[in-house]
Amino acid sequence: MTAIIELEGLAKRFGAITALQAVTAVVDGNIIGLLGPNGAGKSTLLKCLLGLLPYQGRARVLGLDAAAQGAEIRDRVGYMPEQEAFLSGMSAVELCTYAGELSGLPRTEAMQRAHAALYYAGLEEKRYQPIDGYSTGMKQRVKLAQALVHDPEILFLDEPTNGLDPRSREEMLDLIALLPVRRNCTIVLSTHLLPDVERVCDHAVIMHHGQVRFVGTIDELRGARGRDSELFVEVKAEAARLGEALAAAGATCRVTSPVALEVDLPANATTQLVFHTAQAAGLQVRELGVRRESVEAAFLRVIGDTTHQIGGVPQRALTRALAGGLSTPADATDLGGPR
Amino acid sequence: MSTGQIHDLGYKRYVGSRRSMGTRWTVIMRHQLATAWKTWWRFRVWLVAGMLATAVSGGVLYFLSGRMFRMLGGLSGQGINFADGILPLSMQWYCPIGFIISLAIGATVVAGDVQSGAFTFYFARSVRPRDYVIGKLAGLGILLSLVMVGGPLFLSGLRLGLSDDLDHLIELAPVVYKALAVGALGTLVYAAVPLGFSALITNRRYAMALWAAYYLIIGWMAQGISYVTRPEIAALDLGAALKGVAMNLFEVQMNGRNAMIPTSAALISIFGHAAIAIGLVFWRVRNAQQTGVGGSS
Repeated sequence: MTAIIELEGLAKRFGAITALQAVTAVVDGNIIGLLGPNGAGKSTLLKCLLGLLPYQGRARVLGLDAAAQGAEIRDRVGYMPEQEAFLSGMSAVELCTYAGELSGLPRTEAMQRAHAALYYAGLEEKRYQPIDGYSTGMKQRVKLAQALVHDPEILFLDEPTNGLDPRSREEMLDLIALLPVRRNCTIVLSTHLLPDVERVCDHAVIMHHGQVRFVGTIDELRGARGRDSELFVEVKAEAARLGEALAAAGATCRVTSPVALEVDLPANATTQLVFHTAQAAGLQVRELGVRRESVEAAFLRVIGDTTHQIGGVPQRALTRALAGGLSTPADATDLGGPR
Repeated sequence: MSTGQIHDLGYKRYVGSRRSMGTRWTVIMRHQLATAWKTWWRFRVWLVAGMLATAVSGGVLYFLSGRMFRMLGGLSGQGINFADGILPLSMQWYCPIGFIISLAIGATVVAGDVQSGAFTFYFARSVRPRDYVIGKLAGLGILLSLVMVGGPLFLSGLRLGLSDDLDHLIELAPVVYKALAVGALGTLVYAAVPLGFSALITNRRYAMALWAAYYLIIGWMAQGISYVTRPEIAALDLGAALKGVAMNLFEVQMNGRNAMIPTSAALISIFGHAAIAIGLVFWRVRNAQQTGVGGSS
């Protein structure tokens, strides 16, 4: 089966500035978070994928060559921009109909789909009003609807929750999370808000300095350190006493509450050490799992830690190799699940 | 507004064929026409003004075609037929109307789209820069031609209708082509040149002001300079260049600076302005295509 996005040695320079450096990656998933600090190359990558910028190397979207078939790709891709991109004086239904027609749909079909997309986005009551008078939340919904109207197979969402109040943000994230199921399309979510990624994405692509630093699932990202020796342990009581016993056995412990502690096992030790030590001390282990990072911590590690630079190595393969070292997610889930 | 509920009207994948890429400009053209028609002050009122100008000119043409005025022309000893002068003179009406329409619609097109972020809307889709430029030009062209071509064409038809006999009608037949040519040149000037000015500035009001300043002030200055230098300089005044072409094409001998602008200079000015303007629009739109999606970073 064709991957959603395939990149091979993709490079783009603007004069002396290198925006993309020989990016090689295969991206798949239902909702993919595209992450990276400002200037990481996300926008340039997006433009290359849509066939709007010439580039070196190879980029394929839905199996189509972005350099030669940019227009065909754009017919099959929806784009929700971060900034306002409306035509003044138009109502939401006029805008969405126009968007559909510009993507090649016949007028009647475009109009029907415009109404359907606006209903989906929750704008059924206001769809005949001029967009100029809409609130920020409503404008975000119109942007989503106009990106959906031509029935795209991939939807690029650029900061879709920007400027939204908490409730509208939740609603927008609900809409996004359900899109792959209800509209049968893949989402590429470009955002700075890592909690949004944690909430809706199943895959992530992390970019930094024009390179793809990570491609893989969110679980792989959070566990990509490849160490299953960093545990959290919850006991019925007396966590400090278990900590002392484990320290005596060579582990490094940090008591985080009267009933919880973080444990770094010594080399060659397994979780059995924790259970045996607790049993010997007469303590009851209630929960044990591999310490997982938040997406935010994992993101900072990936872009900040130079030991994780993946120059020249296919990132997905490396990520899989790293993730393959983790045999614990299932165990951890059995024992109460990862944090 | 919404309660956050998702109302799916029954989604199904679109399996029909999409229209070919070559037709996207027609969608943009239709949108341009619809937008201009929406508000009365941008086009409709000026269309009415153009119709009034045509009605008045037609009335005068009918009046001057009468036997008494032809006798007066014969008495002058130069065989002047006053009716022949009405059509080129009607450009005195059509040029200001064309200018106002170009100011209200044409000068704001590209600047307005830059200002509202519409280029991102366009170029995230399978719209190419040439689709945009051709669509906008065609839309503006149709609107302007209703006045700039429609009016002169009606008057030329009226002139033919007032001919004495078949021989006279055949003799007068070229006025139709001449009216079409003058109207087409007027349409080109008032559609393409303001579009070029709107591509120079990212604020629609400033773009309007720039076009107005160029058309009026530079035009007047060119006229003034031409009085003390060469008559060709006056061709930089686009209105005067159009009127000059009309006078020369209809072979109407009139006093005044417009009539003294050589046709070649007027045509060079008109086509030169139009070519530069269309080049500017392409440049702006091409840039916008590459910077719009995903921001400018």
